Amino acid sequence: MIKNHPKIKELKFTLNRIFTNPSAIIGFSLLLFFIVVAIFAPQLAPPNTKSHNPYIVPHEGFSATPKQPSAEHLMGTTSGQYDIFYGVVWGTRTAFKVGLFVVSIAALIGVMLGVIAGFYGGLVDEIIMRFVDIVFSVPLLVLAMAIVVAFERDIKYVIIALIMVEWRNYVRVMRASILTLRDQDFIHAAKVMGVSDIKIMLRHIIPNGIYPVMVIAFMDIGSLVITASFLSFLGLGAPTGYADWGSMVAQARNYIVGPTGEMFKYWHTIIFPGGCIILFVLAWNLIGDALRDAFDPKMRRQ
Amino acid sequence: MLSTHKLVNILQAYIIRRLFFLFFVIFGVSLLVFTIQYSYGPDRRAMLYVDSPQQAKDIPELKKKYGLNDPYPVQYVRYLKEIAMGNFGYSIVAARPVWDAFLHYLPITIELNLFVVPLFIIIGIWLGKQAGIKRNTTYDHVTRILAIIGWSLPTFLFALILLMIFYGKFGLFEPAMLSANIEAFILDNPDKYIKYTGMYTIDGILNGEFGITWDAIKHLFLPVLTQVIVIVAILMRVMRSSMVEEISKDYVITAQAKGVDSKTIFNKHVKRNALIPVITIAGQLAALSMEGSIAVEMIFNRHGIGNWLAHAALKLDTSVIMFMCLFMAVIFVVTNLIIDLLYAYIDPRIRLT
Amino acid sequence: MKKIIETENLRTNFYTYEGVVKALNDVCITVNHGETFGLVGESGCGKSVTVRSMMRIIQSPGKVESGKVLLFLDENGEQEAVDLLQQSESYMQSCCGDQISMIFQEPNAALNPIMSIGEQVAESFLFHRKKSLSEASLERLNAQDCKVPFKGIFKNLYKKYHEDENAFVFKLLSHIPLLNRWDFLIRQEAFKRAVEIISKLGIPHAEDIAVQFPHNLSGGMKQRIVIAIALACSPMLLIADEATSNLDVTIQAQILELLKDLKKKHISSILLITHDLGVVAETCDRVGVMYAGSLCEVAESRELFGNPSHPYTKALLESVPKFHQEGALKTIEGNVPNLVTPPAGCRFHPRCKHRMDICDKEVPNLLEIGKNHSVACHLFGDK
Repeated sequence: MIKNHPKIKELKFTLNRIFTNPSAIIGFSLLLFFIVVAIFAPQLAPPNTKSHNPYIVPHEGFSATPKQPSAEHLMGTTSGQYDIFYGVVWGTRTAFKVGLFVVSIAALIGVMLGVIAGFYGGLVDEIIMRFVDIVFSVPLLVLAMAIVVAFERDIKYVIIALIMVEWRNYVRVMRASILTLRDQDFIHAAKVMGVSDIKIMLRHIIPNGIYPVMVIAFMDIGSLVITASFLSFLGLGAPTGYADWGSMVAQARNYIVGPTGEMFKYWHTIIFPGGCIILFVLAWNLIGDALRDAFDPKMRRQ
Repeated sequence: MLSTHKLVNILQAYIIRRLFFLFFVIFGVSLLVFTIQYSYGPDRRAMLYVDSPQQAKDIPELKKKYGLNDPYPVQYVRYLKEIAMGNFGYSIVAARPVWDAFLHYLPITIELNLFVVPLFIIIGIWLGKQAGIKRNTTYDHVTRILAIIGWSLPTFLFALILLMIFYGKFGLFEPAMLSANIEAFILDNPDKYIKYTGMYTIDGILNGEFGITWDAIKHLFLPVLTQVIVIVAILMRVMRSSMVEEISKDYVITAQAKGVDSKTIFNKHVKRNALIPVITIAGQLAALSMEGSIAVEMIFNRHGIGNWLAHAALKLDTSVIMFMCLFMAVIFVVTNLIIDLLYAYIDPRIRLT
Repeated sequence: MKKIIETENLRTNFYTYEGVVKALNDVCITVNHGETFGLVGESGCGKSVTVRSMMRIIQSPGKVESGKVLLFLDENGEQEAVDLLQQSESYMQSCCGDQISMIFQEPNAALNPIMSIGEQVAESFLFHRKKSLSEASLERLNAQDCKVPFKGIFKNLYKKYHEDENAFVFKLLSHIPLLNRWDFLIRQEAFKRAVEIISKLGIPHAEDIAVQFPHNLSGGMKQRIVIAIALACSPMLLIADEATSNLDVTIQAQILELLKDLKKKHISSILLITHDLGVVAETCDRVGVMYAGSLCEVAESRELFGNPSHPYTKALLESVPKFHQEGALKTIEGNVPNLVTPPAGCRFHPRCKHRMDICDKEVPNLLEIGKNHSVACHLFGDK
């Protein structure tokens, strides 16, 4: 009997929908690759000593000219002789930290505020939504810059600043889906049958209204990693020498054009960390796109 | 049917209401950014009241003079008063008052966005329309993949890569606003080249120096390309799904049964309906393209407000950051006002209430 | 009586995620000149799909697989019939809305929400009455008191349009902003005619209604507008797809009366689709009964109600509430089959009281059992 339960059937259909979608397959395999790299970072690129912070990229010498890839430095070195391979491998962990921390905490805050606003309505709703209006009117990047300036240069402050801005995205979505759900017939039916408000909220409204938030959260991980790496690129995020793709691209900035005759001599300084950012973001966006197709009630059956 | 007179009244009332909202948002944002910068500590905040390099040395006295150790509300009210009088502080990076520097840098950013915004709207809507019509064909799949790649590209990285290829490999499109000789020409001939708007493309035409316009356009090519590709990717997908949704509606069948040809159905019936939700996104993207200008201006060495903001953030030039937050909020609210008016124009079901 | 339209073995499938829905199974319908033909059946039995297949306006993922749709334009039957399924797209465009037109069931959805009523009605004229519209515009230009700038240019343009509407210059003009408004007189004329047809349908203040948008009107009003669109070019065949199903009974009666009236004056034949047997009895000359994508029985209206022969028709008529009948209403046992896997043979056999061995093996053919009365059932196979 359990097999034919409509919820299981629906879940099977959704999973089937996601895993027959080629973009989801590519996205998940890319993501799996990055997860493996992040997990096995200590094996792939062993840190020098135990006491030393593994996120600090080791560097030999201070020469400003980047070195070509060699057996010793698989992906070459940047200006300042930081090992690119090490930075790329440990940068994967940084990227996951930024993306997952920011989105999960921001989504939690946003969903909670959205639920409160949608559930209580009235003055509470008004106050929360007007506050969201205000925070919404300044672009993410600019507001995050304003906040991050107040702190030292460290990736954790980038994460905090992004959380302080990102939560606003989820409040509106959650509140809107609660308001639409609240007016639907099955909710009225539950009310008529005498189900308590809290139970309706927890059993019917939140589980049904959370899908749009999830899809948006998946889509946002990519753009947040971009914003974080741009902050690092600007010099507001991770300090030089930290295993972060954005700050590695920043180190490559002056070497995008090689000496005469060898225009692409220093290609590795930008292509490896830059390529990682693009592929990482691409993975999340591909998955987000597939999820949107699978969860969109209008599109999924077509 | 509404008379024109009545319509004008509704419009007036609506715009007045939106202006109130604008003040509310500006007030809120000022409170927000003041709170943020309050956390910076009194030393940094002293910069807000500095309006010349000499004064910057006397920060301890300034702290006392402006009461930076006063309670939060007192300081906030003082800050509001300064804003109301049009004093936004002094920019260390630009070495002049914030408002002057803003007016100096703004035209460069506007010039960039004057090209970016119309281009991404036209291209995005057109590509999305085609993808929606040719749904599930090769064209649709290819544009879908390109779009996902497009919006996975960080603007700053994409700009660097384009610069690497075009400037590094081919020596085209150097990262500057004008070629060196043209810049020298402008400096040497202040009588032949008068700054009307501050935008080189337009001033070139106004001064009859078409060489300058052409040179400026050449230097705009890569920045515009970078920004347009990233934004078009997003808009295109939105337009496509909106088209797909509208194509399956019943009025399309009515039009088919009427004998209307498919081109007219798509362009006159479906496209106009599909545009309604797209307008919102396009407007928000247009407002956001100011944000995208930060990366583009930095990498292509264009002295606009985005570049200014980036440098200000690095140098802890807080008055610039606070001012830019306020400016972005104004842009945001005004864009939303335009979106609403466009909505009312295109969709008769919407009344401005 | 001469045929106006005839379908032969029409077969339409929908390719959905769950599988291929075999929506139509060899449907053969004939509508004659001057008659009102009713097509009845439960929801989802393929009535709408039949007529949409006839007009080739099936939306994806649907596809007409095989069969013929023969249109007899000539009332005397001397002219060759055209198979609409074989015609080009442009032929269909010239035919739909002019010779055949259709009224849709959901007036809310059938109208474009952001186009004014008048424009939507005028569109029919713009596509099918180009010649007469340009002629009328020319006349207006030639009138003494006409005040249009560049009169000469417009005169030449309209004259040319009258002679050859597909000329290159018009295609070129339609792509240039501002210049694509060159045909404003034609549009005005079409709009004028739209107002006329709206007022003919008994809508007061047609000029005011024409500039309104669908959301300003009531449901009955919208239905009238949908009818106005269909009637604009006085079609020979009007297909009314559940034209009255979503309306109040009083408005339903008005609309039916209107259709009857119109049939006398303007149009030759009506193909009426409904699930309401009362409507059929009241308005139709002949009736076809459909079940699960196939036609069960065709007969004259009186004959069908008096002497239903197909078991499904009988069951359907028995399930209609009657005044003199007491007790529970009879229903047809079982459910409508899933058309992804339709029952083999006769599609009604799992629910049929008179099931025989042959029923799940062979598809019954439509056989004539009386004057103008055919049934597709194995019960009558031997006669």
